Amino acid sequence: MPATPRTRTSRRRIASPAARAPASRSRGSANGVAGRPSAAPAPARLLPLPLVEKLLGAASARGAEFAEVYVERSTTTAVSLDEGKIRSAQVGSVTGVGIRAIRGAQVGYAYSDDLDEAALLRTAQTAALIADGTREVSPQAVSRRPLPQHYAVKTPLAEVDVARKIALVSRADVAARGYDRRIRQVMGGYADQTREILVANTLGHFAEDRQDLCRLGIQCVAFGKDERRTGFYGGGGRVDFRFFDDFSPEQVGREAARQAVATLGAVPAPAGPQTVVLAPGWSGILLHEAVGHGLEADFIRKGTSLFAGKLGEKVASELVTVIDDGTVANARGSLNVDDEGNPGERKVLIEKGVLKGYLYDHLSAQLTGQRSTGSGRRQSFRHAPLPRMTNTYLAQGDATPDEIVGGVRKGLYCRQFGGGQVDISNGNFVFEISEAYLIEDGEITKPVRGAMLIGVGPEALKNVSQVGCDASHDPGLGTCGKDGQSVPVGVGLPTVRIDGMTVGGTGS
Amino acid sequence: MPAPPPDAGSAQLLDVAARLVELARKAGAGEAEAYAESSREASVRVRDGEVEELSQATSKGVGLRVIGKGRLGFAYGTDFSRDGLRRIAESAVALSRLSAKDENNALPRGAVLGFNPEGTGDYDPAIEQLDPAWKLAAAREAERAAKGADPRVRKFDSTGAGDYLAHAAVVSSRGAAGASRATYVSVDCSPVAEENGQLQTSSWSDTRRTLAALEQPEQIGRTAALRATRMLGARKAKTQRVPVVLDPRMAAGFIGGLAAAVNGNLVYKKSSFLGALKGERVAPETFTLVDDATLPRGLATRPLDGEGVASRRTVVIERGILREFLYDAWAARKASARSTGSAQRGWGSLPAIGTSNFFLERGTATPEEIVRGVKQGLYVTAMLGRGADVVTGDYSRGANGIWIENGELAWPVQEVTVSGSLLEMLRGVDAIGTDLEHRSSTAAPTIRFAELTVSGS
Repeated sequence: MPATPRTRTSRRRIASPAARAPASRSRGSANGVAGRPSAAPAPARLLPLPLVEKLLGAASARGAEFAEVYVERSTTTAVSLDEGKIRSAQVGSVTGVGIRAIRGAQVGYAYSDDLDEAALLRTAQTAALIADGTREVSPQAVSRRPLPQHYAVKTPLAEVDVARKIALVSRADVAARGYDRRIRQVMGGYADQTREILVANTLGHFAEDRQDLCRLGIQCVAFGKDERRTGFYGGGGRVDFRFFDDFSPEQVGREAARQAVATLGAVPAPAGPQTVVLAPGWSGILLHEAVGHGLEADFIRKGTSLFAGKLGEKVASELVTVIDDGTVANARGSLNVDDEGNPGERKVLIEKGVLKGYLYDHLSAQLTGQRSTGSGRRQSFRHAPLPRMTNTYLAQGDATPDEIVGGVRKGLYCRQFGGGQVDISNGNFVFEISEAYLIEDGEITKPVRGAMLIGVGPEALKNVSQVGCDASHDPGLGTCGKDGQSVPVGVGLPTVRIDGMTVGGTGS
Repeated sequence: MPAPPPDAGSAQLLDVAARLVELARKAGAGEAEAYAESSREASVRVRDGEVEELSQATSKGVGLRVIGKGRLGFAYGTDFSRDGLRRIAESAVALSRLSAKDENNALPRGAVLGFNPEGTGDYDPAIEQLDPAWKLAAAREAERAAKGADPRVRKFDSTGAGDYLAHAAVVSSRGAAGASRATYVSVDCSPVAEENGQLQTSSWSDTRRTLAALEQPEQIGRTAALRATRMLGARKAKTQRVPVVLDPRMAAGFIGGLAAAVNGNLVYKKSSFLGALKGERVAPETFTLVDDATLPRGLATRPLDGEGVASRRTVVIERGILREFLYDAWAARKASARSTGSAQRGWGSLPAIGTSNFFLERGTATPEEIVRGVKQGLYVTAMLGRGADVVTGDYSRGANGIWIENGELAWPVQEVTVSGSLLEMLRGVDAIGTDLEHRSSTAAPTIRFAELTVSGS
């Protein structure tokens, strides 16, 4: 698989020995893939409702105030290509149930991939152990919640012929190799997932959703004299397979190749504070790291985020309006319903520089007297939900990109980006710049290599001095990690100028 | 050497894997290999002395690799019923017909297969039987110790304890047949220290395969609190070139970044900055880097790898000379090398080259001596970002730590980056500590680089 731009918080939950065993816990789950081996008729309900109601009863039998049953069937397809050949095609299907019981701030969580009634009842009883009273065990009735539809996908991706998926990757490979003779290595991958979920709780809510997701990604290595440079590009989303008729694999292959070749001969990035201009799109990772994680309500509730207690305060330049939007059509981070049964929403987090709101899951909302913002997400049935971002973007301004670049005498133009990370307590964040150029007297000039940006969230956003009129979302590549759980996300940014940003590099 | 008779958990997985291989053969597979795992995990998290979260689960899964005339197919699932296994077998065989022919696709066979009893590793019945009350008490003790260590520690990101049991088995039509098992117990604590409106978090944890070896929870809490509080008041440092010292945890991260540089497949594809340097000096005489799946008490110690190849110890860099790369069966065949037993595996994915216990051997200087030798420099205790790019050979990461002045740890630093070229960094390692501890499967003692670029104000 090609390199994945990833974003993550620096939090770690359980020390991972990185031995084979713990690493396998997240395998085969939700991370970006899909494909039932054979076409099937419209699936029956994942679990019969009477059984779901019975499990809710069992999970709250010891006095829990809230219980939830989450059922998931995830079918995945993945194709990988290396050295001009399809290396492998693979499929898998995983079904499981996660059961949660909450009493006050205390959570009991248990899951099972064994779907027979006895095993599921044992799972519910395990979750119930968080409470220690008794109550009559009775089924808890639920009724369906009507949902919007932000990503109607006609044919589940799992039912699309694997040969067509293989063809996408091969076409991208040919295009990348054809771009320039210095492109010597091409790695490609296509992955999709058809994830069906059912979530029901003792508030009486019950929701079902099918979440298709796909991604094509190509990584290229260009060989120059005594140097190698890489390029990565791709995209996808919660889309019909037809998406790739327009977003062609040839275009993906050529763009990955272009990046690798463009940075051959790059000079070391200048180190130290300077003016940076971020190109639109995936650069939205700036928001994701600099503010997004710090606004997740679990950190706020525990008081461990530097944004805790700052509602209504100015935390960014007044040019900055940040939105987290789970309703963007067909976007990678969109949700008809979150993994706790609440509809996805559009939330204004920062408006003209002023902090307006946080991202709540059920538990954080409950404990702080707020309502859920539809931000409760989990990697799979093996994980309890956490407040997470969906698609996070900056509202556009009115400067043209040319005006922005033209106004910089000396600085750095950042065109393509890698992953990032944040420490939500002190607000330190980094993100990698995979393709960058010097700006000299308003002109984009020499390519530089090895650049990385570092800052403290609110300070960096206070130094945003121009926002472009060219709002743009990323092409559908991002995966966010938190507490060992990966979920697909989107980001977006117009062209933006930030002054006094610290650039890590080795040049002078 | 033959494997000892399997325990009940392993026997069950060996049976599932053997049945799946048989079904794959019936479905038309030329060669077939099944890898199955089962696990049980239980953890408790606390906040203010109360239970915050209890979780418990068992899980299982099996993956099947089939090869027919050099074409590879892979499928996986969690349904161990006969129908479930049959579906996996049919999917894998159907997919293999869509893949490209690659003569290097072949399952390992013959002498490389086996069970190395030196890699059996620890399986502790005390962890298997661990009372949930023990975990609760351990987590509470760690939290209490962190609070008691410093009044500026009042908040916690998280504190917990957990145990984990795992079984794995691999069976192939080429004669692989082996199983392994492991127990893990861990305690972790992530306090947040606060002063003058600044928050600083850190975490400390210990994971072991035997209960007796686990660090005292109280000590874990105290260490975590110290790591967080000493960062209070952190500020930027000036942009400059200075000596940089990595504490053992950060040094382990640096060593981990080198793993991809000695990945035999990347080397074969000329995608590693170390690829052309086999047999040459890449680091000082004091630098010996080892991947050892037979390390006593190692977290990643195992008798065989994910495709049934017997475990071994591989010296990657010996006294500064680059000696060996790491291979699984596929990359070894391609590169005309021998598998180093480095196939990493989970049931939901194909094997890929990975490290086992991957570590830098201890040096001769105490960590205090290493710091004392620096007039002006940075002692790094936390990092952000990916860091090493082994294709380009560039290294750049965000760093937090303590500024060193005249050999003393002087004041806390944040919001800087540390950058260099990987090869120059390796050659410029001028001190290696005596403080090697195998706290994670990738480990290193304190190391010092003679000069790197620190970028800040």
